[in-house]
Amino acid sequence: MTEHQPLACARVRVLLESYADGELARTDPREATAVRAHLAGCADCRRQHEQTVSLPFRLRALSSPPPPDSLIAGVMRLVAPSRVAYRRAWTLIFPEAVLATFILWYLSGLEGLTSVASGIVTDLLDLAGWGSGSGRLPSIPRADVLLLLALIALTAIAAYHLSILVRLAPGGLSGRRAAGD
Amino acid sequence: MRAAAALGVRSVSDVPATHSSAGVDLVRQATGGDLDAFEELIRRLQSRVYGFAYQHLRDVHEAHDLAQEIFVKLYRNLGRYDPERPFEPWFWKLAANATINYRRKRVPLPAESRDDAVDETAGRAHDPALLQALAQLDPAYRLPILLHYYADLSLEQVGQSLKLTVPAVKSRLHRARAQLRNSLAEAEQVQETS
Repeated sequence: MTEHQPLACARVRVLLESYADGELARTDPREATAVRAHLAGCADCRRQHEQTVSLPFRLRALSSPPPPDSLIAGVMRLVAPSRVAYRRAWTLIFPEAVLATFILWYLSGLEGLTSVASGIVTDLLDLAGWGSGSGRLPSIPRADVLLLLALIALTAIAAYHLSILVRLAPGGLSGRRAAGD
Repeated sequence: MRAAAALGVRSVSDVPATHSSAGVDLVRQATGGDLDAFEELIRRLQSRVYGFAYQHLRDVHEAHDLAQEIFVKLYRNLGRYDPERPFEPWFWKLAANATINYRRKRVPLPAESRDDAVDETAGRAHDPALLQALAQLDPAYRLPILLHYYADLSLEQVGQSLKLTVPAVKSRLHRARAQLRNSLAEAEQVQETS
């Protein structure tokens, strides 16, 4: 701009950012001094410098319109499981409990469990004998068939229940509302 | 700030709502799957997130969509958050990723409807020249500016969010500020001559 200035305006404009945030003074103190000298004598560049210094404050003070009321409701609708899904998840507890009670009653502790295990082994051996043609088809007690059906039903309901719980909990979370909701 | 409040707008420099101990508890509860806590968490974040989305997209409808997408992504990723680490940088990194992906997949609106959406709020802005300059900025420069000055992330955190080195972030901020400064100077000149 003026002949006695060691730096041209174009060069100062390029350096203004690093000069304003102090980096130029750290990396090249001589050039920083030259910029300072230029600014003292150049009104245009001084204005640009003021603009540069005030810019971060103006950016931080920027305002935006308030978020619409529908924003939170929309998000919660997308992430929160529906009440129907919740009800379904909890009502499944009832058949599970009934089936589990029946199975436990039938097994009646360790003794029942061992008797069921030995019964299964005997039935399998009889079946193998029937298959090889050396024996008759074993007659399986009705209660055992009932137990088998109860176990199959419990497994199916529990698997369905699990799938609902997984759907209710995106990202591995167990999405839940506080009590009373 | 007071003027902004009177205009019904919210400043981007509001104190982060999740820095207090109550905020930390809220994040912990939300991470544990408490939906009420999650709702309260997004209630506290919504001004800044919506403002961030608005400043980036300059369209109220798209800002709504993006803010919604950021919060849904937050919910889906809460299980991955480490409560031992600060929440805000983690969250804004997620928000930046959602913003980048949103820009990639969004279909540009017809020019007329976009202008309408911007004009709706531009008249109420207290620094219209800067808003205009920001809108003209390339998204690659606008995002670091918003993350650093609006979301108050450090240079390192901006770098992590955008997968950039700190010198690259500094360089983008310098260029962005220089472009903003030029736009503002041009706007001032136009104003003076008119």
